[in-house]
Amino acid sequence: MIRFVLSRGIRAALIFVVASVAVCYGLRVAPGSLADIVTNPLNRAFAVKDLEERLGLDEPVIVQYFVFVRNIMGGDFGVSFISNRSVTEIIATGGLNTLKLGGAAAILTYFISVPLGIMAAARRNSVIDQGSMLIAVLGMAIPNFFLAILLVRLFAVELRWLPAAGQGGIKHLILPAVVLAAEAIAINLRLVRASVLEQLSRDYIRTLRAKGASERRVVWIHAFRNALPPVITFGGVMLRTLLGYTLVVEVIFRYPGLGFELVDSVLKRDYAVAQALALVFIAGVVLFNFLADLGHHLAEPRIRERGAAG
Amino acid sequence: MSVEQVVHVPSGHEPARRLREALTLLFANKLASIGALLAAAFVVVGVAGSVIVLVPGLDHLYTDQNLRAALLPPLAPDHVLGTDHLGRDLAWRVVTGSGISLMFGVAVTAISMAIGMVVGSIAGYYGGIADRLLSGAIDFTWGFPVILLAVVLGGMLSPGLLVVGIAVASVTWAGFARMIRAEAISLHEKEFVEAARALGVSGPRIIVRHLLPNMLGSTLVLGTYYVAAAIIVEASLSFIGLGAQPPMPSLGQLIATGRNFLSVDPWVAVVPGTAMALIVLGLNTFGDGLRDVFDPRLRRW
Repeated sequence: MIRFVLSRGIRAALIFVVASVAVCYGLRVAPGSLADIVTNPLNRAFAVKDLEERLGLDEPVIVQYFVFVRNIMGGDFGVSFISNRSVTEIIATGGLNTLKLGGAAAILTYFISVPLGIMAAARRNSVIDQGSMLIAVLGMAIPNFFLAILLVRLFAVELRWLPAAGQGGIKHLILPAVVLAAEAIAINLRLVRASVLEQLSRDYIRTLRAKGASERRVVWIHAFRNALPPVITFGGVMLRTLLGYTLVVEVIFRYPGLGFELVDSVLKRDYAVAQALALVFIAGVVLFNFLADLGHHLAEPRIRERGAAG
Repeated sequence: MSVEQVVHVPSGHEPARRLREALTLLFANKLASIGALLAAAFVVVGVAGSVIVLVPGLDHLYTDQNLRAALLPPLAPDHVLGTDHLGRDLAWRVVTGSGISLMFGVAVTAISMAIGMVVGSIAGYYGGIADRLLSGAIDFTWGFPVILLAVVLGGMLSPGLLVVGIAVASVTWAGFARMIRAEAISLHEKEFVEAARALGVSGPRIIVRHLLPNMLGSTLVLGTYYVAAAIIVEASLSFIGLGAQPPMPSLGQLIATGRNFLSVDPWVAVVPGTAMALIVLGLNTFGDGLRDVFDPRLRRW
């Protein structure tokens, strides 16, 4: 177990270092495109000069990378070129907002898809089963940004129950969290249902029923326990996908989280912010990867190392 | 007169018989038939849209403005699906957008499928150190958030369809590679592959002639899902301004435009949005049907 955690931990760290080099290098060798894209010609010379000064672009890229790493170690992520806000502050406030949104979406996903998936599998072809499959099909077909538009029109424009955008209390969280979770609910619902169905056809289930275990116990304890590994493995993929979708959903709802700030900084070519936020997101991806491996390892001790990829 | 008599299918003809069986199976499934019809409709509309995009001189169909006929609801005279805020015909704009989606989805999926086939079959067939290295790359890449990659790449290069395409392809190849690797490992032990090896057939030739043809079904299934996924990613990024750039009426752009008129006239967003949902619904359910036909055990994740 310790060996597993160590080897995966080292791999995660290596991947993060490689990714951080790629991000820093990529953003630094592209200053030409900054000059191309800064639309205001009066601003162009200033922006390029500013960028060169701040990033020390006259230094070799490797030196720049280590300067950047040293600054990060000291807690200094730099300053936004445009708003002059400290990047550390953007990460702190945005990170908290994104954690709230992502957490709400993850809770919503599992609290809806797991019980519904198990019920659908236990009562195959019942109304519950068909209803949940309809949710699954629609959830996967309707792109989340279009779902956002429909929900805003219904709940914010027509009914005026919920705010259309922005940040505030729990009311501001409901629509973005539902939109963010919609696809994950759909996919997870199908996965839980299929996995439980597969377990229910196994011999041990017949044995359990034969020895008189209650149907509720058979489904909710035994079948569900053994149906978990694929759900947990997929959890890692799902969290990474959710992380990606926060970029879109936060922009749609103008929700000031990390995703909104990252897209905003990329659109405004605010490289100091874009670079730091991209690294935060990549760290999240690597962390989720690691947690998914760990969860998979714990849920299915028989699978070691190689087995997982096949 | 039945179709068989007209076309005169020889009864012993294997591929034709298998194709017919597969189609019978596919159309026995109601949901899959609907999916197949939607997917076929998308291809037809998409090809028309591609022609409009690619042939010069046809752009007036979706750019002609008429402010006297702005924001018309669907079923207006001369405009079946209504018009947008500049009085441009929404039907033509949706057709053009579908064309962009089709071209984008198919091109990106074809590229990542080709990369995935090469990487997956080498890793699965040869095993050993090649497998360890390639599997490491596959494991990390598979499931990396495409949207995040596209946004970061958009920061390094200038935003546009090309960047989105690169981002999608550099993640989805791993999906193909992962599945093909697993299939290559299981095929590696089959008698016909051993027989070929015993006869002295070279590795690359075995992969191309014996392994790949046997994986075609499951690869195509995965392909339909990935076309749908690529279309959604492109639309999502166009929607937030990092995909197709404004004059190009991609479906994401159309929905984004419609969003500005949501409280005045929801149709401008609902028409392209519904088209988008139908396309994705069609591709996904068609893929599900194909999956059941080709390999009931294959999972989409």
